Amino acid sequence: MHTNALALLILQLIVIIGLSRLIGRGARWLGQPLVIAEVVAGIVLGPSLLGWLAPDVMNGLFPAASMPVLTMLSQVGLVLFMFLIGLELDPKLLKGRGHTSVAISHSSIVVPFALGAGAGALWLYKSLSSPEVPFSSFVLFMGVAMSITAFPVLARILTERGLLQSKVGTVAIACAAVDDVTAWCLLAFVVSIVRASSLAQAALTTVMALAYIVFMLMVVKPFLARLGARVASREGLTQNVVAVTLVMLLASAGITELIGIHALFGAFLFGAVIPKEGRLAESLAERLEDVAVVLLLPVFFAFSGLRTQIGLLNTAEDWVTCGVIIVLACVGKFGGSAVAARMTGLRWREASAIGILMNTRGLMELIVLNIGLDLGVISPQLFTMMVLMALVTTFMTTPVLRWIYPTEELARDRVVVPMPSEPGAAPYSVLMCVSHGQAGPGMATLARSLTGSEEGAQLHALHLVSPERASLRPEQQRDPEEDSALTPLLWRAESLGLSVRPLSFVSGEPAQDICRTAKARRADLVLLGWHKPLFSQTVLGGTVHEVMQEARGPVAVLVDRGLADIRRVLVPFIGSKHDRAALALARRLMKQSGAEVTVLHVTADLGSHGGARAQVEELFPATDGGVVLKVVRSDAPDEAALDEARHGYDLVIVGVGAQWGLEDKAFGLHRERIVRDAPGSLLVVCDPTPASAAESTPEAANSGPHAARALPARS
Amino acid sequence: MHLGATLRLLRVDAGLSLRDLARRIGVSSAYLSRVENGVDAPPTPERLSAIARELDVPPALLMDVANRVSPYVAGYLEEVPGAGALFLEIARRRLSGPQLARVRDFLDAEFPVRGTRADAPVPPLAPLLAPERVVLQLSCSGWDDVLDVVAERLASGRPGVDAALLVKGLRERGEESSCAVGSGVAVPHAFVPGMAPAAALVTLAKPLKGATPDGKPLRLVVAALDGGHGSVRLVRLAHVARLAAYGLADRLLELHQPAQVLAALSELEALR
Repeated sequence: MHTNALALLILQLIVIIGLSRLIGRGARWLGQPLVIAEVVAGIVLGPSLLGWLAPDVMNGLFPAASMPVLTMLSQVGLVLFMFLIGLELDPKLLKGRGHTSVAISHSSIVVPFALGAGAGALWLYKSLSSPEVPFSSFVLFMGVAMSITAFPVLARILTERGLLQSKVGTVAIACAAVDDVTAWCLLAFVVSIVRASSLAQAALTTVMALAYIVFMLMVVKPFLARLGARVASREGLTQNVVAVTLVMLLASAGITELIGIHALFGAFLFGAVIPKEGRLAESLAERLEDVAVVLLLPVFFAFSGLRTQIGLLNTAEDWVTCGVIIVLACVGKFGGSAVAARMTGLRWREASAIGILMNTRGLMELIVLNIGLDLGVISPQLFTMMVLMALVTTFMTTPVLRWIYPTEELARDRVVVPMPSEPGAAPYSVLMCVSHGQAGPGMATLARSLTGSEEGAQLHALHLVSPERASLRPEQQRDPEEDSALTPLLWRAESLGLSVRPLSFVSGEPAQDICRTAKARRADLVLLGWHKPLFSQTVLGGTVHEVMQEARGPVAVLVDRGLADIRRVLVPFIGSKHDRAALALARRLMKQSGAEVTVLHVTADLGSHGGARAQVEELFPATDGGVVLKVVRSDAPDEAALDEARHGYDLVIVGVGAQWGLEDKAFGLHRERIVRDAPGSLLVVCDPTPASAAESTPEAANSGPHAARALPARS
Repeated sequence: MHLGATLRLLRVDAGLSLRDLARRIGVSSAYLSRVENGVDAPPTPERLSAIARELDVPPALLMDVANRVSPYVAGYLEEVPGAGALFLEIARRRLSGPQLARVRDFLDAEFPVRGTRADAPVPPLAPLLAPERVVLQLSCSGWDDVLDVVAERLASGRPGVDAALLVKGLRERGEESSCAVGSGVAVPHAFVPGMAPAAALVTLAKPLKGATPDGKPLRLVVAALDGGHGSVRLVRLAHVARLAAYGLADRLLELHQPAQVLAALSELEALR
């Protein structure tokens, strides 16, 4: 009946898949990962149970002649599966976890490796190995076999327990990822040593393997990144792309096999270098997963099970050895990682949870063991013991985890999206608030002069629409009119080569919204426009007043009289904090666009202007070049400033203050003469940061340069 | 309405990978991916219920998002033709949202649903909003600006919440998977531990073109800030997606006062 090899293979597949799914249901009921079921299914089908109960059935179903086919099939399945493991390995997991993960993962490899190697060297080599196996190979292999962590099983357990986003989960998954990479590199190294006939050959293999890794990272990875970008931008993964990736995967596996490290390493490496950002990795995983995991992987498990012969452990001594191996494996892995986790500052509970998670060996252990058995490094007897060890460590993970880390604990321990800290100094940022279109161009010009050629300066334009006007507006005209207030500003900005981010919305309380937006945009300066008000004669009433009250940083009101180019700037100066804010802006204009600045110091008596000069010099160091300081004695500062302003300045920058006739009042009927009579454009500056009593009066502000230091000047 | 986008949004927030969810409800990940991308037809009510169970949200909510209610009701009417008359009576009285809510309260008290655990009431959106967190007729140059505005509103008046960090959180969540749920609505959201939940609402005067699941430009943004990872927030997101399916964007776009928005929302939410 079994003459047809294909029919036999199909029958084997049906039995294997059917049985592992059947046992899988039971495993699910016990809260165990599916891996356990698949391994158990393999053992059941093998000589341990089926072969023991009904040798004929087993020999009929899995005759020795069919083994090569099963071997090959399971190896192909493993190549695909290792590729998937590599795909799941996201470098983002490794980044930014700091020294916690690195320390834990290193000690979770070093400790079990040392224990495994030590046990191998001192004890197992004598009792369970044969002399033809080289001592070094055996010891190294035992070390690696002990230090494996099953990244995929761990990920499944974490997902099922909803731990993926918790601190424990993120640390554990990062450690497992590091472990995976390290262990596979170690294994590749061990395989190369075992296969090499001489030391020179081993060295050559290692060098070639390293060269291959460098080649993958430097050449293949950039290529894949471009491929990934193409896949992301277009409809998705075409079959051509899948074909190209599969061919490259097979080539990678083949090359590593030829080099002398295992084909699985090439598959894993190729999966790991595939970019995880776009949809490429996800789509590939979707396409391949079902075939690899449902169809081919059980074949591998069955194959491992067929080679596991529990019957070989026929003496009490064997079972004791097996038990000791299991204990050593748990102590090394659990102890190593839990202690390291505790030392990095996690609580004992969390540390033990990480330890038990890292102790999961799962199917990765089986892969390693099969390689070892194929190479002849370990005997079938030791293989069986190690398979049992892998089963036990995987099996105990879920219940023990539930015990140390119950759901209530878990609820307390969720973490937030990690929010990285702030970057350094923010670029200069200006918020331009436009209520009427005509104010826009002047603001753009001023913003251009304030920022000059500075890289990364942030310019925001804000237009607030009152709810009444918004509801009056007919629906169909909304868009054109909405734009019109900001359009003149944006046009001017475009012609000046500025990039401005416009923003506009309906607001019932414009002052608050301006301040909120300024805060959100981290504006260094809030620039307000001015147009002739209907009822009040003042510039500084209404919304402007409210903004000046609430703002956290300097506020400036631009009275635009055809501001086109800022070459000459006048700053009338007495010494209040607002005056100093005005000076700071003037300084910025000078530095950024080379404006010529004149400071007009008005004083009641000529003798005492030394303090003011010191302040001006503090803000305008001589090295910066020309600033003209004029000192005028006058009892009426606003008259003096107006007189000077008539000498052809493009812009007069003046601080808010009674001395200039500019009082910041809610309902002012003040003349604001300087606003009315100044021939050119005017910028009224207010610095609302709370000042100490000494600074708030102009007279006292002359007290010395240290007062000027308090100015929030930015350059 | 776009069910797939909503499913993806909820799944990502539940911390499930495509493959995990597919495995749990017993479908292939390829199928689930097609559903999420809207290539495949919406799942059957049974499958939808399975998904809802895995995500820990009330099945009826997802059914509502999927517009699966009418076929379900039609099936029931065929079985029990007498019920049709009752539906007609309700329709004839033109019962409003609050009145229907009373009818439902009566049904809940008289005929509790057996076999399923009592669903916790769906948390309404309106109480999370406040007039100062409603921005109307926003016009701006891009999605980043919207996030800035939203974060600033959510952060204002809450010490311990930094707007810039919030923007970062919102953006990172958006990069993971789109937060647009179709019908011109997007629901960016972020978590700050220990914070009382809050929401901000933005209507866009200039629709934002971008990658939306159903190709309709973005006109309404409902941003949520949460203090925990519990299932309440998933239910809330699903609820907003359902409101979107009801045409929330169209309704709110006409309004010019935050108070009107809150009133409209309460009315719409009376029957949850």
